[in-house]
Amino acid sequence: MIAWSESQLMIRDAVRRFVEDEIKPNLEALEHGDMPPYDILRKMYSTFGMDQMAKAGFAKKIAAEKSGEEAQPRSNGGDPSARADQVAATIIPIIELCRYCPGMVTAMGVSVGLAAGAIQSKGTIEQKERWVPDLLTLDKIGAWAITEPDSGSDAFGGMRASARRDGDDFVLNGSKTFITNGPHADTIVFICKLEEEGVDARERRILNFVLDRGMAGLEQTPALRKMGLHSSPTGELFLSDVRCGIDRLLGGANALKATGGGRAGAKATFQTERSGVAAMALGMVEQCLELSVKYAKERVQFGRPIGDYQLIQDKLARMEVARMNLQNLVFRTIELVSQGKTMTFAEASAMKLYAARAAVEVAMEAVQVYGGNGYMSEYQVEQLARDAKVLQIYAGTDEIQIRAIAKDLLAAD
Amino acid sequence: MKILVAVKRVPDPNATIKVRPDGTGIVTDNLKYVVNPFCEIAIEEALRIKENHGGAEVVLVSVGEQVCQEQLRTGLAMGADRAILVLQDGDVEPVIVARALAKLVEQEQPDIVMLGKQAIDDDSNVVGQMLAEMLGWGQGTFASEVKLSEDKSSAVVTREVDGGLEDVEMPLPAIITADLRLNEPRYASLPGIMKARKKELKEIPLGDLGIDQSVQVKVHKLSPPPERQAGKKVETVQELVDLLHTEAKVI
Ligand SMILES: Cc1cc2nc3c(=O)[nH]c(=O)nc-3n(C[C@H](O)[C@H](O)[C@H](O)COP(=O)(O)OP(=O)(O)OC[C@H]3O[C@@H](n4cnc5c(N)ncnc54)[C@H](O)[C@@H]3O)c2cc1C
Repeated sequence: MIAWSESQLMIRDAVRRFVEDEIKPNLEALEHGDMPPYDILRKMYSTFGMDQMAKAGFAKKIAAEKSGEEAQPRSNGGDPSARADQVAATIIPIIELCRYCPGMVTAMGVSVGLAAGAIQSKGTIEQKERWVPDLLTLDKIGAWAITEPDSGSDAFGGMRASARRDGDDFVLNGSKTFITNGPHADTIVFICKLEEEGVDARERRILNFVLDRGMAGLEQTPALRKMGLHSSPTGELFLSDVRCGIDRLLGGANALKATGGGRAGAKATFQTERSGVAAMALGMVEQCLELSVKYAKERVQFGRPIGDYQLIQDKLARMEVARMNLQNLVFRTIELVSQGKTMTFAEASAMKLYAARAAVEVAMEAVQVYGGNGYMSEYQVEQLARDAKVLQIYAGTDEIQIRAIAKDLLAAD
Repeated sequence: MKILVAVKRVPDPNATIKVRPDGTGIVTDNLKYVVNPFCEIAIEEALRIKENHGGAEVVLVSVGEQVCQEQLRTGLAMGADRAILVLQDGDVEPVIVARALAKLVEQEQPDIVMLGKQAIDDDSNVVGQMLAEMLGWGQGTFASEVKLSEDKSSAVVTREVDGGLEDVEMPLPAIITADLRLNEPRYASLPGIMKARKKELKEIPLGDLGIDQSVQVKVHKLSPPPERQAGKKVETVQELVDLLHTEAKVI
């Protein structure tokens, strides 16, 4: 893929119009207030038929699974451009929303990508049918909880959250923090360790449970205050003796048998997250570049538009380089997914590392182009600069991406 | 039932339009084009008639250059069934558009031809009326509401006229032109957009329609509106009243 197709541009224009009509008028409340993003996201889903599309896709997958076949990665069999359009249709809204509200994309991505994604990849057919459709349409909001106060980058090693067997039931305990959608989630994928006699805590089996809002012993705190990403509510979860049956254990009894269970599954989730970040970064960089070019032409100092000065031109040129690189990464992702291929873990990590750094650098330089105005909330680059920083932290910090890339490089002969 | 909808490609109404220095037209570099907003309302109304009256075939027609297929695809993405592009380079004057449509009506035999009340580029506001005259059909222009009879043999069109509303009834087939408040056009859904590329879009050179192409109107010159003068700030209400009286002469 070397350019957006005509259909893809049409999707982009339609989403842009939605952003104009529905998001821009609410930008203040979403990014400088406490307006949750869910109603607008739901409206976007129903307006563009994204809910119906997701439902139909899910029904097809489940039917294939029930009949014991491998689900076809994409329909439209022989037509590669139609397959690419289908993949692009999921990525273009991410790019366009990120020009204004990267937080909304985070909230959406965690719900449909991580929460529904985890259930879809690890759950039994009954579990998928029970929770996934409502999550895919955003009728229900999902959260995916692995991070704890004492365990972040070392997510599995330091994890304290636990599941204790009690007859046929499990009793869950632990606290999770920085949980996207935590305050509002209806469905929570809770990741913890099975308490096993005589097994060292670091080696214990990882289990994923699905919890519903309102279960006895489950507390969801209000949103934490944070630097940016305000259109994505982030909270804490506290579990004290939450009792549940094996029907809530993802994978059912098999999850207790499989070896190394859980870690590999969560890794797959990390990979989806990491490739999504490139699309997010592209949206933010496109917006910062567009705003910066406009301002460089308008703002006059020393009798000339600041765009006449080479130091400003250098910033704009670097932004354009980042934009091109990110767009190529996004094109490559679309191409890979539409061919049913995946990238390696190290490749996804490299892409995430580059995308996060590029977004932060571009957004900070956009603030610089705007000078004092750039530091004021009235101008959008201020918000985008705060929002961009999170890309270097969540879904694995930059340092953790570097570790994964280096590990892969050094492991090779 | 079949509904023919006329669709015009026009510059984005939100774009800043610059007139070429020689006055022969507007600067088209980097200009974004869209479906004429009134045509979009006409498409929406046709789709609603289709949905609420047990089905209909919605056929879009545009007269213009090859690129007009972008606007036809947009209409197909909204849900229209197929499209016809009558190819002709350069500006096509309204009477020729009306003749081309009349010819297609002969071939397609639609029950309703829906149009926008006018195009927002040249604001001619004549194609619907001329087409009705050429076909000898009834017309409901400036429609703010369209009601079809149970047996789909006639339509009542509510028109926005000075100081109120007027209902006109006409037998089908008929011409209806859409006003702003007729409806709020839908967004094309993502599956709709993806399906649009597979729908039929037939191209016919204008010359093949065998219509009279003689030009009757020639545009001599375009000129931009005069630059707005800077406003004036006044200190007191009295000063404002005085100036409205002596300078603006409005009171
Ligand atoms: C807005 C937001 C939303 C989030 N949403 C979710 C969510 O929905 N679900 C969820 O489970 N989590 C979520 N997180 C948590 C996020 O994934 C973690 O914050 C992240 O993984 C880092 O963990 P930590 O904060 O504990 O930092 P730490 O792991 O304590 O890291 C501190 C610093 O040490 C560095 N470091 C750590 N280990 C090494 C090493 N081995 N080598 C070199 N440097 C190292 C890190 O890179 C970092 O710079 C979210 C976070 C944020 C900010």
